[in-house]
Amino acid sequence: MLELKNVSKIYNPGTVTELCLFDNFNFTVKGGEFVSVVGSNGSGKTSMLNIICGSIPVSDGRVLIDGKNVNTLPEFKRYRMIGRVYQNPSAGTCPNMTILENMSLADNKGKRFGLSFGVNNARKEFYRSQLSSLGLGLEDKLDVKLGALSGGQRQAVSLLMATMTPIDFLILDEHTAALDPKTAEIIMELTDKVIKEKNLTAIMVTHNLRYAVEYGTRLVMMDKGNIILDKQGEEKQNVKVDDILDIFNKISIECGN
Amino acid sequence: MLFFATTIDGLQMGLCFAVLALGVYISYSILDFPDLSVDGTFPLGGVCCTVLMLKLGIPALIAVFLSFFAGLIAGAVTGMLHVKFNISKLLSGIIVMTALLSVTLALTKLLTKTGFTTTIFSFRSENLTGIFSGKTAALLGNANRDYMIILIELIFVIAVKVIIDLFLKTKLGYMLKATGDNEMLVASLGKDNGTYKILGIALANGFSAMSGALYSNLYSQYDNSSGSGKVVMALASVIIGIAVFSKIRFIADTTAVILGAVIYSLCLNYLVLVDTNGIYLKLLNAVMFALILIFNEKTASFTAKHSKLKRGKNKC
Repeated sequence: MLELKNVSKIYNPGTVTELCLFDNFNFTVKGGEFVSVVGSNGSGKTSMLNIICGSIPVSDGRVLIDGKNVNTLPEFKRYRMIGRVYQNPSAGTCPNMTILENMSLADNKGKRFGLSFGVNNARKEFYRSQLSSLGLGLEDKLDVKLGALSGGQRQAVSLLMATMTPIDFLILDEHTAALDPKTAEIIMELTDKVIKEKNLTAIMVTHNLRYAVEYGTRLVMMDKGNIILDKQGEEKQNVKVDDILDIFNKISIECGN
Repeated sequence: MLFFATTIDGLQMGLCFAVLALGVYISYSILDFPDLSVDGTFPLGGVCCTVLMLKLGIPALIAVFLSFFAGLIAGAVTGMLHVKFNISKLLSGIIVMTALLSVTLALTKLLTKTGFTTTIFSFRSENLTGIFSGKTAALLGNANRDYMIILIELIFVIAVKVIIDLFLKTKLGYMLKATGDNEMLVASLGKDNGTYKILGIALANGFSAMSGALYSNLYSQYDNSSGSGKVVMALASVIIGIAVFSKIRFIADTTAVILGAVIYSLCLNYLVLVDTNGIYLKLLNAVMFALILIFNEKTASFTAKHSKLKRGKNKC
């Protein structure tokens, strides 16, 4: 379970550009939930993810994972419990290393990176089967450098790498935004499959309202650092894209654009 | 004959600097860290090795290995300055380089006069004929000291190359590569990329110091100004090596770097033939480096164009 309790975030405190994004923000994600988060630019979606992962510090309040305060844990230690897929397909992989090397890196997450050989040949079959589950033909390209793959293929590998070892949370940060519609569809289906198969708790930020409506068990809409819509369970199943679009339009009119 | 002697000298120098270039390959190519402290750790290794050999009477080979650790420590300081205190990469290198100027000077004070000792290149031909027999012995018996120096250096450089190659295949080596490639990924694997940066820079400077130690063994002397220009020299070697030889499939990056160092040293030595007064040496040196970079740029665009054509023919 993940909890944000009374979180405040002030950017550039004490300067003319001071911006209070979150003021006493509360948000709870229960184990097994798949939350889709939508909202306009600057509504605090990515900031929220960064606060959860420890990429940016909070000004006030607490971040709790399974009831434990992780405020003081640095980013890299939090990633031992969290898997994250970024918007930029190259962010989740090493472009100058081969698929095999990347897979071994991900496979060893949480273990010691010592002086034993990086690639364990006994695991090759496992990597192949994992890659073939993507259905992109990558299982025959183990020795190809990641940088030579297309954005969609890279994102698929990123997703695989982020979920390879047991994690408590999967954070998806607009992970289909940089892909073409067809590839985005494939990646989104893969994501759903992986989350269901491994029974992961996931938070997905997206700008694609259809994905937010179709996938996930809970839908959250954010605006100016507040949650203005939170549908779960049956309510979530009945939400239509048009409903959300209506709310979006209302917010935009209030903002004056 | 002069040309021949210059070539031999260039080979000896080049193989000596190949160790330095291999170190800089770790910091520059793998970690993407332009490390200037190399200018300081090269003479540091030289002076440490000389002091150990002359003052403490430690055997040459062991002294060379021990000087590796002197560089390791200095490199770790550079890494810490950058990682723990957020000083920029270039500045942390400059700070350590400047500090080492004094350190090496202080160590030089321990060496008041010249002394006699055995360097790793000292040998007697009788010993060699003992190891080799028949035709090889006849050949080696006649070979002069120069060839033997090259042989010993070659063994040394290949050993370093193999160690680096093996290291880069370990999990730790993978993390080093990943740190240079994508820091974010290292963090998302739950590891602190700072640790790997410090380790990489420490190793790079260790090899730089080792190269300095070899250098003082090679010329049987220690020169406090031997560090100046080593960064440029090593970078040039790495860039030349990777640019020219990495395109050939079966040549590993480390081998390419060694070849780059040898070629660069040979070119430097030939420049001395051209400019006997040595006034325009640095200018010629710079022009040569620039030409190589331009040439590299041209061949890169050339291969890019042609590989595209080829891909169109074969694929899909």
